[in-house]
Amino acid sequence: MDQVRLSRRALLAGTAAAGAASFAATPAFSQVNWKKYSGTKLEAILAKGPRGDNFQKHIKEFTELTGIQVESEQIPEQQQRQKCVIELASGKPSFDVVHLSYHVQKRQFEKAGWLADITPFMKDPTLTAPDLVENDFSAAGLSYAKNDKGQMLSLPWSVDYFILYYNKEIFAKAGVQPPKTLDEMNALAEKLTDTKAGIFGYVGRGLKNANMTLWTNYFLNYGGEFLDKSGNILTDGPEAIEATKSYVRSNKSSPPGVAGFNWMESLAAFAQGRAAMWVDGVGWAPGVENPNSSRVVGKVGYTMVPAGPKGQYSATYGDGIGIPAACTKKEAAYLLCQWVVSKTQGARLVQAGGGVSFRNSVLNDPEVQKGVTLPKEWFQSVLDAGKISKLGLPVIIPVAEFRDIVGAAVTATLAGADPAAELKKAHEQFRPILERSEKA
Amino acid sequence: MSSSTGPPALKLRPLSYWPFVLPALVVVLAVIVFPWVFTIWMSLQEWKVGSPTTFVGLANYVRMPNDPRFVEAVWHTLLYTALSVILPLIFGTFAAVVFHQKFPLRGFLRGVFIMPMMATPVAIALVWTMMFHPQLGVLNYLLSLVGLPAQLWVFDPGTVIPSLVLVETWQWTPLVMLIVLGGLAALPTEPYEAALIDGASFWQMFRYITLPLITPFLFIAAMIRLIDALKSFDIIFAITQGGPGSASETINLYLYSVAFVYYDVGYGSAIALVFFVLIVMLAAVMLYFRQRFHWNEAGGGA
Amino acid sequence: MSVRKILNKIALAICVFLIVSPAIFFFLWMLSLSVKYEIDNASYPPVFIPDRFAWQNYIDVLASNRFTTYFFNTLIVTGTATLAALLVGVPAGYGIARMQAHRSAVVILIARITPGLSYLIPLFLLFQWLGLLGTLVPQIIIHLVVTVPIVIWIMMGYFETTPLELEEAAGIDGATRWQVFRHVALPIAKPGIAVAFILAVIFSWNNFVFGIVLAGRETRTLPVAVYNMISFDQLSWGPLAAAALIVTLPVLLLTVFAQRQIVAGLTAGAVKGGVVLLSWHPGRA
Repeated sequence: MDQVRLSRRALLAGTAAAGAASFAATPAFSQVNWKKYSGTKLEAILAKGPRGDNFQKHIKEFTELTGIQVESEQIPEQQQRQKCVIELASGKPSFDVVHLSYHVQKRQFEKAGWLADITPFMKDPTLTAPDLVENDFSAAGLSYAKNDKGQMLSLPWSVDYFILYYNKEIFAKAGVQPPKTLDEMNALAEKLTDTKAGIFGYVGRGLKNANMTLWTNYFLNYGGEFLDKSGNILTDGPEAIEATKSYVRSNKSSPPGVAGFNWMESLAAFAQGRAAMWVDGVGWAPGVENPNSSRVVGKVGYTMVPAGPKGQYSATYGDGIGIPAACTKKEAAYLLCQWVVSKTQGARLVQAGGGVSFRNSVLNDPEVQKGVTLPKEWFQSVLDAGKISKLGLPVIIPVAEFRDIVGAAVTATLAGADPAAELKKAHEQFRPILERSEKA
Repeated sequence: MSSSTGPPALKLRPLSYWPFVLPALVVVLAVIVFPWVFTIWMSLQEWKVGSPTTFVGLANYVRMPNDPRFVEAVWHTLLYTALSVILPLIFGTFAAVVFHQKFPLRGFLRGVFIMPMMATPVAIALVWTMMFHPQLGVLNYLLSLVGLPAQLWVFDPGTVIPSLVLVETWQWTPLVMLIVLGGLAALPTEPYEAALIDGASFWQMFRYITLPLITPFLFIAAMIRLIDALKSFDIIFAITQGGPGSASETINLYLYSVAFVYYDVGYGSAIALVFFVLIVMLAAVMLYFRQRFHWNEAGGGA
Repeated sequence: MSVRKILNKIALAICVFLIVSPAIFFFLWMLSLSVKYEIDNASYPPVFIPDRFAWQNYIDVLASNRFTTYFFNTLIVTGTATLAALLVGVPAGYGIARMQAHRSAVVILIARITPGLSYLIPLFLLFQWLGLLGTLVPQIIIHLVVTVPIVIWIMMGYFETTPLELEEAAGIDGATRWQVFRHVALPIAKPGIAVAFILAVIFSWNNFVFGIVLAGRETRTLPVAVYNMISFDQLSWGPLAAAALIVTLPVLLLTVFAQRQIVAGLTAGAVKGGVVLLSWHPGRA
């Protein structure tokens, strides 16, 4: 008993020093022995970005709380994914905690068995704070983190919903309201395009691979499903063809060169006030609202992706944090993962606009909402998008091939190719790849 | 190349120089042998990272002709290479002739001129990406200054390869220039004196005296450009990653995707081997032409 | 006649301007991008010299607290790889030149034609098996692939131009081959060694593609570290251009200051038939 009390006191001291609201609120009922792994050293490999920044900026608090030393590095996303895969495949990864991108890596990591099952840890009250429970994560988060056996293989960290950004100034000048449906949006985009003035009604990703994350918004809202029950890919069906036509129509009102646009070119066009509407992830709002990079600060409206004929969904992507199966310090690593998705860290992330926690207890907390630095409208669009969220890419191993091959077909339609023919051709190429990787 | 002027070293027993060469040979072999064995062996396996390997014989090789992306990539590579050999050759020869003249600040300007080939490729690729931007890039602004319409550069499937070749040309023209400059420095002066007396123009002298004499050097330059352009990676990867669509996806880019994005190591190894054979074959074709048309002898090509 | 001379001079000046301006313009524009805030970088018509300079772009890059670690790593990797290359490459160039054994260079030709990407996975596994990951050794070894061929070919070309008479005289006096090399050939070849050294440093510096997979947090070299600050999917051009300039600046300075040696080395190599053909260029993964 004494020991427990001692550790509680230590914990209180730790959290007080950290000023971490979430830990401070719960420890009195918690038996988590935070200091149990004191002195352990952990390595974390992170993808470069606001999540990684948020991790590194506050990691000292974790060390104060647990006595665990953490070394971490941020690497640009693409290289980070490669490094992780090569090291995990070698069986001796150099890291104990890995930042993974669900929509790209979920199935690959699961099938290869690279991640440790953390379900038992989550049930262990000496390891898990009582506020961290499965059903606090949104459905999308859980479907990303769990494998088909129901084991938790990672903790959902940050979610990315697609929303519609629009330029209020242009809208006001034309006296129009934000569109409710994709058809309305396309008509509006055509109306607002004024090539002479250099204003375009719409902008969005056209570049192969990147475009798929946008295209799936159309696909889902046209009633598309990625896979049938036996795992066959359906993205060349009638829904896909109609969705592609709508996508092409939107992009007819885009700046020239959109076939080569990734999000950054789209963001640049929008932030320069040259595009009236832009559909992309919620995470770009800080860039749009930053006077050093944007000419539309304070003039941006945020709303849900317009509905299609078969419903209204927001294509959803996300990242998580997990522990390699080969890690030898799993418990300590688990404490770190827990801290990464903690309420404190989640609140900081969303308040800076650097990401959106998967946890309802973070998003619904009025205190957290008060601290959001971005416009209230943005936060509302995040909450709204969360209600209509749907996974934005098929959960298969060859996601990258899917994005490249079907993405190239979609890009080709921007230049006038026939959607049905292009999609058919792409899928003839993709189906054998999918079969090969799933059968193995 | 140098056999005609070679030193009479053969008097000394040649073999006894092997101890000088051996350490270097061991170092190079040590680094390349294992990857080669590994790649050949892997090309006969089906191995996606994270799954077990299975022996599939030549199945990976059979996949290639039936893989439309690979076939397309071969054509892109050939087009890209042809342009990236010819353009630097033309501009490089021109630059060499200019730098062969005497003018103030020549050394400094020559240093500036060769900066593109020395600069870190990824760094310059980044800046080119910014310059190509259709709305914000400086290139379209420069075009507008001389009254030309804005281009989409690397943002359009139709212009992406020429745009990338522009970068490649900018970067590697200096190398051609250096090689040709070496050729010009070795030229005899007599033919020019005779030609001047006959009242030949600058262009005539270049066409009928210089060009034939520097043919062997142009051949070397073309050979280097051929191998380099075929293998070009950094620039394309950093600027377009093979896009838009797959309009600039060359074999090397596709190889990268297969091996490091799809982690299909077996197939990637097979592509690497076929790619190697293709480079060797094209180099052999060039060598054949050299023998056939005597490009290795000064004056042969004319 | 004098009018014609003036015309010729003007024509020459125009030609010089035409061929040098793309390089000058490019690097000046790179500099300009790197000192501008986003709002200036994205304005149209473009701003060449901004009203306010964004020195912050540079500070952000240089502020990395591990800068010194990376700097020393770079010194060790590039330095060791270059010196080791000189150690084995200079004698090799000498041997090949004296033997006229140009065909032995086929090995290097194979190394050069091999798609660089196919080295990566096997070498990673090899180094892991040898337990060398996490040290600087893998990077040094990888850089040897770059530096050894350059040194061999530069030196080969150089030794073919140095006079044989002295060496033969020494041989008659009873000196061994090694003594001839050490006391006669080597001192004459100093300028060639300098060129080989410079080019090996430059190409080793530029060739950091392998470092990305092979280098860990503690073993990163400066180019790799700065490269890692550059993510391609990043909006802000200013910091990107600043990072790019920092990565490539040492090479550019070396190029301008040592241009005479570099030009001499490379053109001499060309005369000797294909030095550069087989040397390993950066950016050819």
